Amino acid sequence: MPDTITPIERSGQSNSAHGAGQDHTLIALVEDRPGAVDRVVGLMRRRRSNMQTLVIGRSEQPNVVRVTVAVNDSEVAIDQLEEQLRKVVDVQHVYNITARLAVTRELALIKVNSTPEKCNAIVELAHHFGAHAVDVAPNAVTLEVTGSEEKIAKLVNALQEYGIREIARSGRVAMARGTSDA
Amino acid sequence: MAIAAKFIQQLDIATPMARPEDVRELSGSQILCEALVREGVELIYGYPGGAIMPFYDALTSYPSLHHVLVRHEQAAAHAADGYARATGKVGVCVATSGPGATNLVTGLATAFMDSTPIVAITGQVARHFIGRDAFQETDILGVTQPVTKHNFQVRSTDELADVLHEAFRVARSGRPGPVLVDVPKDVMQLKASYDPGMHVTSEEYLLSGCADAPRPTPAALAKAAELISEAQRPLIMAGHGIILSNAYAELSAFAEKTAIPVITTLLGLSAFPDTHPLHLGMPGMHGPAHVNQAIGEADLIIGVGLRFDDRVTGKVDGFAPKARFIHIDIDPSEMHKVKVAAVPIIADAKVALAALTEVVRPSDKIAWLNEIRSWQMEHEAQHPVRRDDTLPDPIGILTAIREATGGEAIVISDVGQHQMWTARHYTWTRPNSHITSGGLGTMGFALPAAMGVKMGIPDAPVWVVAGDGGIQMNIQELATLQQLGLPLKIAIMNNGYLGMVRQWQQFFHARNYSETPITGPDYVKLADAYGHTGIRVTRREDVEKTIQRAMEIEGTVIIDFRIEPETNVYPMVAPGSAITSMIQESGEERA
Repeated sequence: MPDTITPIERSGQSNSAHGAGQDHTLIALVEDRPGAVDRVVGLMRRRRSNMQTLVIGRSEQPNVVRVTVAVNDSEVAIDQLEEQLRKVVDVQHVYNITARLAVTRELALIKVNSTPEKCNAIVELAHHFGAHAVDVAPNAVTLEVTGSEEKIAKLVNALQEYGIREIARSGRVAMARGTSDA
Repeated sequence: MAIAAKFIQQLDIATPMARPEDVRELSGSQILCEALVREGVELIYGYPGGAIMPFYDALTSYPSLHHVLVRHEQAAAHAADGYARATGKVGVCVATSGPGATNLVTGLATAFMDSTPIVAITGQVARHFIGRDAFQETDILGVTQPVTKHNFQVRSTDELADVLHEAFRVARSGRPGPVLVDVPKDVMQLKASYDPGMHVTSEEYLLSGCADAPRPTPAALAKAAELISEAQRPLIMAGHGIILSNAYAELSAFAEKTAIPVITTLLGLSAFPDTHPLHLGMPGMHGPAHVNQAIGEADLIIGVGLRFDDRVTGKVDGFAPKARFIHIDIDPSEMHKVKVAAVPIIADAKVALAALTEVVRPSDKIAWLNEIRSWQMEHEAQHPVRRDDTLPDPIGILTAIREATGGEAIVISDVGQHQMWTARHYTWTRPNSHITSGGLGTMGFALPAAMGVKMGIPDAPVWVVAGDGGIQMNIQELATLQQLGLPLKIAIMNNGYLGMVRQWQQFFHARNYSETPITGPDYVKLADAYGHTGIRVTRREDVEKTIQRAMEIEGTVIIDFRIEPETNVYPMVAPGSAITSMIQESGEERA
């Protein structure tokens, strides 16, 4: 935090309700110790943060877990949340990459109703979205797609007419562009 | 082991070499005791039980670790907390798994809210039983996660010493707080080779400078000095951070150089002498009217070591609406949390105040102070404090305690009306002489906390002030006092009600006194039963001489003051109101 800043007055510093939520992507690098991820998630709950997706996975360092959280919250709540996360002993680093240039991706597996006649049409439609079939059965096709949440939403929409049996989404992962680590 | 390696790397000191002659084969519980001794621990409050038994077995071989057997684990946590608050050292409490550990929770939450350093050690079922619903198994890490600064479960005997030292380091560094270490029974029973030189204590770590708080930058100091020189109506608000960082002299020097009036929050009381001409009083819900009025008119608030709690601010929009804020705190997450700070300074209060004092210009402007004093006289003339003529009255009791002890007492208050009377009407001059549960408001805190205070500062007269509700919440500790031979003086303000709740019912629930009338034991007989002295006082004229007598009696004395049942704490700000709108004594109307 810079030493001298004059932030604008925001909700949360008054008695007015938290509002004007917007999407943020927070990344926390957490030491892999028992209960560490639990602490991060528990903090989110205690501070009433509105979590959309939560992804926990390995990072480039051994013993460090990368936690990516998509939250929808007001700016003041996000600043608070970042500072609170930094206080968790197991958390090494926290950054909010919302305002930066970043690559964000999500993976989805989509199982669509199919027949031998419709199968080709489904696979072709999927190709337009960069998706491909990973499993084909007589009455269903499973597609894999990677991309932004909007792209996945559009594909899901386009597939509705065939009937969607099941969707599994990974949640958002993100990385800043360029060489800056944060 | 990995933890030790990490610290040693950060420490930038020569990697300790294992000397074969120092290495011993010890059990986990012996290692635990060795590490506690190396941390400088002298006092442990605890209660044995199944899973923690190996520790108690080893304890008898370590005479420098003095253990106090409490009568309920909650009291162990409060006693450790009281010891920590009074001495600035880390308080230690110990409990067994399951119910022993869960009984600590209120004490941990109390310490967490008030940022006091304690380390709680809990036994746990053996590792192969964990997760199998074993007898007295509780997921204490899960239970205490929201009320501790950090918690650990020790995974092996090898890492026991490092985890314990890290627990002390976390508890003491930055903004202090409680840390829990959960030790499975088999980890205590198994043996490991132990070499003290291989494990960095919290003291060694902190002295290395690795954990130093950031220093205020010249830019921030210059900006702060500029705001201070521009301000016409500045105020200093001093909180618990002054006491935690031992910044009494720095606060005085800063206030005196700038001639800025000083407000002390509930936990900041006794950080600045009440008798100082610049001292105004306590802000917020039960602060005197002139203090809250000054906040309403101030154009600059210099907040040091406080978090602008809702009991201080009232309705946030109405709190210091004309002021800019300089906020000094060691915890970055407190910045802009409640009020946006024009100058946030993340630093230790002592360091920051010393640095700020150097850069500010001296001032002797006292027009603003005189204005506040004129409001004070006006309010005091309009709303004289009503005192009962026949019954012992709270103000008289507090005045008499102060006089009998020459202001040298440490006073531990419980929670409720008496707490506010104590905060308001005792004259605080001895640094760190006011101890209370502020953030959590834990009834039953005072008696066990006072045990810790008295054992930490044995030479000071220690007074407990409690209500007849709160005293009954940890009354069992009278037996601990008796076993220890510890002399506390206990003043019960007995009004036969849960008084603060009754007061709210009177103001906000049309006198619907739902479940607030309360009875208690005959405190004279009770004191006798526990081997103490009990005195009942029912007349105002007996207050002073009874307090005098209590000071002369060796050992613990319980005085049952029968005060007027429906006395209220005035003034009062209704919850959710601006602090400048207060309920006053006369007519009980909102001013």
